[in-house]
Amino acid sequence: MNEQVIEQIVRDVLRQIRAGGSKTTTLADKPGSEASPQAEKKDLDPQRDYPLAQKRPELLRTATGKKLEEVTFEAVMAGQVDPLDVRITSETLLMQAEIAEGVGRTQLANNLRRAAELVRVPDERILEMYNALRPNRSTKAELLAIADELEKEYEAKINAAFVREAAEVYERRGLLRTG
Amino acid sequence: MQVDQTLVERIVSQVLAELGQRQGAIAQPGGTADDGLVALEEMGEAKPGTRSDEVVVGLSPGFGARFKRNITGIRLSAVLRELLAGIEEEGVSARVVRVRHTSDVAFIGHTAAKLSGSGIGIGILSRGTTVIHQKDLAPLTNLELFPQSPILDLETYRAIGRNAAKYAKGEAPAPVPVKNDQMARPKYQAVAAVLHIKETKLVEPGAPPVECQVRFAS
Amino acid sequence: MAVTRKRSKRFEVLAARPVNQDGFVAEWPEEGLIALHSPNDPRPSLKVAGGRVVELDGKPREEFDMIDQFIADYAIDLSVAEKAMTMDSQEIARMWVDPCVPREKVVEIFRGLTPAKILEVVDHLNVVEMMMAMYKMRTRKTPGNQCHVTNVRDNPVLLAADAAEAALRGFIEEETTVGVTRYAPFNALALLVGSQTGRGGVLTQAALEEATELLLGMRGFTAYAETVSVYGTERVFVDGDDTPWSKAFLASAYASRGIKMRFTSGTGSEVQMGYAEGKSMLYLEIRCIMVTRGAGVQGLQNGSISCIGVPGAVPSGIRAVLAENLITVTLDLEVASGNDQTFSHSDIRRTARMLMQMLPGTDLIFSGYSAVPNYDNMFAGSNFDIEDMDDYVILQRDLMVDGGVRPVSESEVIAVRNKAARALQAVFAELGLPAITDEEVEAATYAHGSEDMPERRVTDDLKAAQDLLKRGVTGLDIVKALGKRGFEDVARNVLGMLKLRISGDYLQTSAWVDGEFNVWSAINDPNDYRGPGTGYRLSPERWQVLKNIPQAKRPEEIGE
Repeated sequence: MNEQVIEQIVRDVLRQIRAGGSKTTTLADKPGSEASPQAEKKDLDPQRDYPLAQKRPELLRTATGKKLEEVTFEAVMAGQVDPLDVRITSETLLMQAEIAEGVGRTQLANNLRRAAELVRVPDERILEMYNALRPNRSTKAELLAIADELEKEYEAKINAAFVREAAEVYERRGLLRTG
Repeated sequence: MQVDQTLVERIVSQVLAELGQRQGAIAQPGGTADDGLVALEEMGEAKPGTRSDEVVVGLSPGFGARFKRNITGIRLSAVLRELLAGIEEEGVSARVVRVRHTSDVAFIGHTAAKLSGSGIGIGILSRGTTVIHQKDLAPLTNLELFPQSPILDLETYRAIGRNAAKYAKGEAPAPVPVKNDQMARPKYQAVAAVLHIKETKLVEPGAPPVECQVRFAS
Repeated sequence: MAVTRKRSKRFEVLAARPVNQDGFVAEWPEEGLIALHSPNDPRPSLKVAGGRVVELDGKPREEFDMIDQFIADYAIDLSVAEKAMTMDSQEIARMWVDPCVPREKVVEIFRGLTPAKILEVVDHLNVVEMMMAMYKMRTRKTPGNQCHVTNVRDNPVLLAADAAEAALRGFIEEETTVGVTRYAPFNALALLVGSQTGRGGVLTQAALEEATELLLGMRGFTAYAETVSVYGTERVFVDGDDTPWSKAFLASAYASRGIKMRFTSGTGSEVQMGYAEGKSMLYLEIRCIMVTRGAGVQGLQNGSISCIGVPGAVPSGIRAVLAENLITVTLDLEVASGNDQTFSHSDIRRTARMLMQMLPGTDLIFSGYSAVPNYDNMFAGSNFDIEDMDDYVILQRDLMVDGGVRPVSESEVIAVRNKAARALQAVFAELGLPAITDEEVEAATYAHGSEDMPERRVTDDLKAAQDLLKRGVTGLDIVKALGKRGFEDVARNVLGMLKLRISGDYLQTSAWVDGEFNVWSAINDPNDYRGPGTGYRLSPERWQVLKNIPQAKRPEEIGE
């Protein structure tokens, strides 16, 4: 488990505490947190709830648990805004996936679901994984190792399956690295 | 209408006629097979270089063989001579290889860079498109790219050679001034596509690059 | 070689016309140098067994290349495919054009069609019918426009001023690229600061190698990405250094950072790269559109793009270019519809080509319109440039069509250019980058192009540009730099751009952002065209803006 994942978990916990105020909140009360990729649907209606920033701002949180309205110019100048505060969360991506699905855009919804998993992968690693997926860059074993890493370290099950499928296709079409 | 060598030659000669009016005659159209100017002997599989002060020039499959002139009719022997002269002017040695497995300029340049002891390579297509590459870069990125073959002149090719040599010496040269002619596309793009189809037919999948010995007739 | 013979004076005049500077070639069908109708194009077919496609356009699954497989498994909706594939192609073509058949119904049929079937359907349409269909089928109701902002010296001060002016003129997206790759961080920075000076919410991007483009996006230097190319044959896809799987993963990577993106493709790229497999340009382009849909990307830039000289040189090529735009929107994707590269020496040809998209309107009619003189356009020139701007604005007025830009006055342009140049000067000072002098600010304020700018020390800039990335500077640092130096409004706009990532609203199809940072997409501004009086109509307020050109003399002042 790498630093970023740990950081994410700590932030999630902090967020739970913040969100709950003085009350005691448990993770189970928050099924939609980033820690659980299979968040429950929020029954979003594209016509009623989109755009979320205008219609449902209360559903939105930054990666550190701030509300949208807390990310202000003044807060930036006071040094209270972290780059993680302008990052999307898994939870928000799953909400957008639900909205895309709601207007019949199945493939876009699936892309957003894959993205929800990749939120947890650090920038450098995601670039490396992309490069490894380019043709003639990786052996089959290397691709399968990436799939395992996605599944085990980042709970990225859809992406893991996607990379395994790529490994099969690359093998069949001669797109694996030789030597 | 058949798009064949004759058509391409006709277009090239029209272009040459035009260029001739502007800059004085460059060359006679329809030159013979070797122009008596250059010999490119393929010497066997190219090996990675060991000297850190070299630049490797990677030629496309048809460069100087099937094709003797670039898209605007400049002799490829003269183009190669300028590239090499530019490199040598900087006190760096040059090696020439023919890349056979691809006709893509980026991959040709990257192949040359990976063979180069300095890690710096130049890739060039028969139609004239050129790239300066470095072995640690991703294939489709580059140090300098000259995508508009119709506007590259001999002076620019020499400058490209010089800059490649400077990168090989670890310097950070000012890039060769980028020329831009927005009308090159409507005039040449389809012709370039035909030339590229013909060059691509010469690609030998899986064939390793070969070392070339270059001789210029004086 | 030339045979001397007596020439007709008329033919001499015609030969000297600009159109005869264009390079035309006859079709070469076996090599795919043909717009439609290659003898090698497959016949439509689809066989499904055990819940998956076992034959696509005459090819059995065992022989699928990677693109066939990706299309079969990700782009075709099997719940509607078998029924859709049995429909008569001409019948589908008629439904496409018929204003009484709702958009949704056509979208649903196309979800189940194979590439060869789509080709067969589209071939029933002429260009007028295609424009009719485009009016109905584009996903978002309101049309828009994108521009290019570049210059031959990668001068950042000039980029900022041009970006601000372009935003003022009404472009909803701005794209830059570089002459020298290592300048990229500066170009992205200048475009961001300049655009947000002109109007908050304008989306900006830098066209670069895929991984570099993603990195700049992650840092908050750009708001979206577009140069993510896909191709119609396996060999060319691999030469482009990607596969449908790597590109789909990249698409998800962008979304995971809350960054909008679209793919890019276009007729002619495969033949241009030498591996068209003898298939027609439009057939291969339909495969690209379907790969895009399969990857779950919200949109596509197509319309031949950088290969326009190839379809432009063959018969029916410009019709094929409109066809690819139309198929894109019919597969329910955003379209950035080309018109972005020099296409012809002839003003008549380049205007006719552009009207195919301007008249029906698309999400982004140009992708983009050169907001700088073409000599400074580092995409090797666009179909229209800033010197054509008054013509374009007057075409909007003549035809009562919204082309996505508005008339502006000289004084407001000068003011906004000056402010953008000063804002960038402040950011450079605050971030410790090579100084921007007052002389440069002044020059950029009044400049037409890079020839009007003093030289910068390129090697210092390049070093600092790379250093900017190494230091880990992000969009928030740009906000702070602007804020500290008194450009609070620009700073707030840059922050607004970063905040778009929190909600992800602009990840939905065809999204753009207005001056109050409201997101408008195919969801909250859906195309509802059902014939005359429906769909996009100029509002009285918009028409006031478009028709009031400064050149028009006021009757009450004439003769006074």
